[in-house]
Amino acid sequence: MTWFKVNGKPVESDAGATPLLWVLREHLKMTGTKYGCGKGLCGACTVHINGAATRSCLIPVSALEGKDVTTIEGLSADSSHPLQIAWIEEQVPQCGYCQSGQIMQAAALLARNNNPSRDEIVQHMNGNICRCGTYLRILSAIERVAKA
Amino acid sequence: MTIKKTAMSRRTFVKTTAGLSFSISLGGVLAAGEPKPKRAAGQSADAVTFTANIWVSIGSDGSVGIVCPANEMGQGSMTSLPLIICEELDADWSRVNVVPVTRHDEAYGNPDFGGQLFTAAQASVESYYKYMRQAGAQARQILLLAAAENLGVPLTELHTEPGLVVHSASGQRMNYGELAAIATIPDPLPEINDADYKSPGEYRLIGKMNNRLDIPEKVNGSAVFGIDVQLPDMHYGMVIRAPHEGSHPKSASPQAAELDGIIAIELLHYGVGIVGKTFDAVVAAREKISISWSDPGVAASRSHTKTLDEYQGLANDHSIKGSTWHERGNVASAMSQSTRIIEAEYQTDYAYHAQLEPINATAHVNQAGDAAEIWVSTQTQTLTVYAAAKALGTSNDRIIVHPTYIGGGFGRRTHMQYVEDAVLLSKATGKIVKVIWTREDDVKNGLFRPASAHQIRAGLDETGRVHAWHHRIATPSVLEYFKPERWASANGQDVISVKSLDNLNYDLPNMHAEHLIAERHARIVPFRGIGAGYTKFAVESFIDEIALARSMDPMEFRMELSHHSVRMQEVLKELAAFCEWYRPRNATALGLGTIGYGETVAAGAAEVSVDTSSGEISVKKFWMVLDAGLIIDPINTEAQMQGAVIFGVSHALKERITMKNGIVDQSNFDDYAVLRMSETPEVHVKILSTDNPPSGVGETGVPLTGPAIANAVAALTGARIRHLPLTPQRVLTALRAAG
Repeated sequence: MTWFKVNGKPVESDAGATPLLWVLREHLKMTGTKYGCGKGLCGACTVHINGAATRSCLIPVSALEGKDVTTIEGLSADSSHPLQIAWIEEQVPQCGYCQSGQIMQAAALLARNNNPSRDEIVQHMNGNICRCGTYLRILSAIERVAKA
Repeated sequence: MTIKKTAMSRRTFVKTTAGLSFSISLGGVLAAGEPKPKRAAGQSADAVTFTANIWVSIGSDGSVGIVCPANEMGQGSMTSLPLIICEELDADWSRVNVVPVTRHDEAYGNPDFGGQLFTAAQASVESYYKYMRQAGAQARQILLLAAAENLGVPLTELHTEPGLVVHSASGQRMNYGELAAIATIPDPLPEINDADYKSPGEYRLIGKMNNRLDIPEKVNGSAVFGIDVQLPDMHYGMVIRAPHEGSHPKSASPQAAELDGIIAIELLHYGVGIVGKTFDAVVAAREKISISWSDPGVAASRSHTKTLDEYQGLANDHSIKGSTWHERGNVASAMSQSTRIIEAEYQTDYAYHAQLEPINATAHVNQAGDAAEIWVSTQTQTLTVYAAAKALGTSNDRIIVHPTYIGGGFGRRTHMQYVEDAVLLSKATGKIVKVIWTREDDVKNGLFRPASAHQIRAGLDETGRVHAWHHRIATPSVLEYFKPERWASANGQDVISVKSLDNLNYDLPNMHAEHLIAERHARIVPFRGIGAGYTKFAVESFIDEIALARSMDPMEFRMELSHHSVRMQEVLKELAAFCEWYRPRNATALGLGTIGYGETVAAGAAEVSVDTSSGEISVKKFWMVLDAGLIIDPINTEAQMQGAVIFGVSHALKERITMKNGIVDQSNFDDYAVLRMSETPEVHVKILSTDNPPSGVGETGVPLTGPAIANAVAALTGARIRHLPLTPQRVLTALRAAG
């Protein structure tokens, strides 16, 4: 049995080797975190573990003992995180499937560096695929928050 | 949903029921006593609903339900289509609920798809605009009539403001909710004339800055995509598909009872289905199952290189006649009188959609096995219904579809294998089953954009003008595989396979475009941009080759060729200024591509650099000018253009599916790489505001991107690459050939 927290709430799971992604999605029914590749290649499943952006498709639940997991559902209670506001102002999403992962990835960057350069942003975001091609608006939204 | 038929045209049928929630309950399909999956709540229970026509229903609480016949996959139709109705209805946009269509229902079907519900081909706004405009204006007239009667004033003294009918003379006003409680459908229905529509200057919504309705849900994880569906006692399914098309499972072991958490192992005609109580159990079981497959026959000898060799042979062999897609003048006679003939061959590889939401579907089949409810991210309710009804051997009216948000379509969700999976596994187990394909399942068993091979000949007269143009393309029929019933009556004309082969924006007085309908060696479906994705690569590359042969500037040459097309001339002039076409560059060069796609006209310019030692192309900037007539939503239109260019760059530089011994070599985003942020060019979009009727925007940007890049590479290095994608290997080979 593994004990950890998701968005501040205690969770226990006996799923052991099951990746966190599937525990979130199909055990806890928190589907904001997405499955895209299952191999850490696309970033759609990005969550924070103790504040660090992590691919939830690769980490087994058994590795989470005592850890704090934050998902898109827990980033803010009411879509009020500055990145969520900027995402709407810049009208970023198209299909939207990758955007939970994009926002969580960006939030981890801004939490440790509130004024990243464009190169730092691009480097940090490069593991997150957006097939609709919203990269330019993602950049604008992150820079909007960074400059604020 | 029952439609009360009247003597009116089918698009003005009065709908007798209306739901206003995302997921509407229609009932009646599942037999009484069976578990009914929980659905989202509808409109407030005590509100009275006035149904003005099949598209518009207004609640006495002031809410406005507008049916949206297109599904939302990122293209913005969920906002732009209801917006058209809301504009003419003059309703309060903040009170609008979007109502999906949950059946195959021709009343809502796209007339350009033979009445099928089909979200594709950038057709939604172009096809539905006139109907939705009319429906909005008609509903507004009905409310005005109700207000005139209620207030006892002449109709002509009334006007509307958003959500209100106003009588200025007396200061009286009634809101749409109040009117919904008293309005009746007039007999006859008010006729809508041109004067009843707003003039563009009166628009409050169209062409303005409107936020898309779907975006708030997409920044907090609450948007429900097909793969997110959760239902009571839902089970999970996967299908191990045959390694080769056409092969069948002969046996599978072990049995379900020997696998933890597994309730069924089903031999389907194309694979082995596994159904379990949890997703984890299904994933674990999958690794333990061994399957004996039937002999795949020739499918095991497929290879992408053999395919392209075969297709090129077909394109080049003039003793074989193709299906004529377009012909004008007399190409044979003009060619024989040419003073100079230029010829080139082009090829394009298979391409994979790489939509980010993996393939999935959830089905609930009733105990009798003759009705089903399906939750799915689909581009077409109609084909979803057909596939489910066929799998169950039942009638179309026994199937309900709940379309969810689509995590990327690009054509991939027009073919319904996954619906068949879910329906068959639900029927076999009596459970609600969510079927998920892994990414690897999708790539290995993908339905691709077909490979293509081209031969184009141009005959120039003594002045250097192109007076003969003969384009032979060899590629299979996509329709024949994915929509055989339409192919049967298509007379050999496959728009999916050869879109935009006609080059109507270029004055080519004698031209013949032939489709050599090649044998299919892979599963193929529509792909964003359909045939134009390769026909434009060939045509626009060849235009630059002719320009070079004539020592002519590629922009000037296109201006000459398009002299008869006012819209293309405007687009090109704007583009030349926008990208500073005539400004010399250091270490980079520009290349052009143009397209006419439906009524939409666009041109783009790529600025590239090339690493001549590695063969890597870097696209620095891209400029796009678009004329899509009246623009409903400029912010979204810009987004669609940016996205199309990025999609196009990805696909031009990196994306190819290859196969050996009938097995696809790629499996995931490591070996099928798509463009990432660090590789993304600056994209500058200019949208011309024209008074042409609105036409589509979602696909237009894709096909012109590849040739623009290839032309820029040729301009910079002299190396002409005639094979898409423009891989480093091909760049190096072309550089060597160019010396």
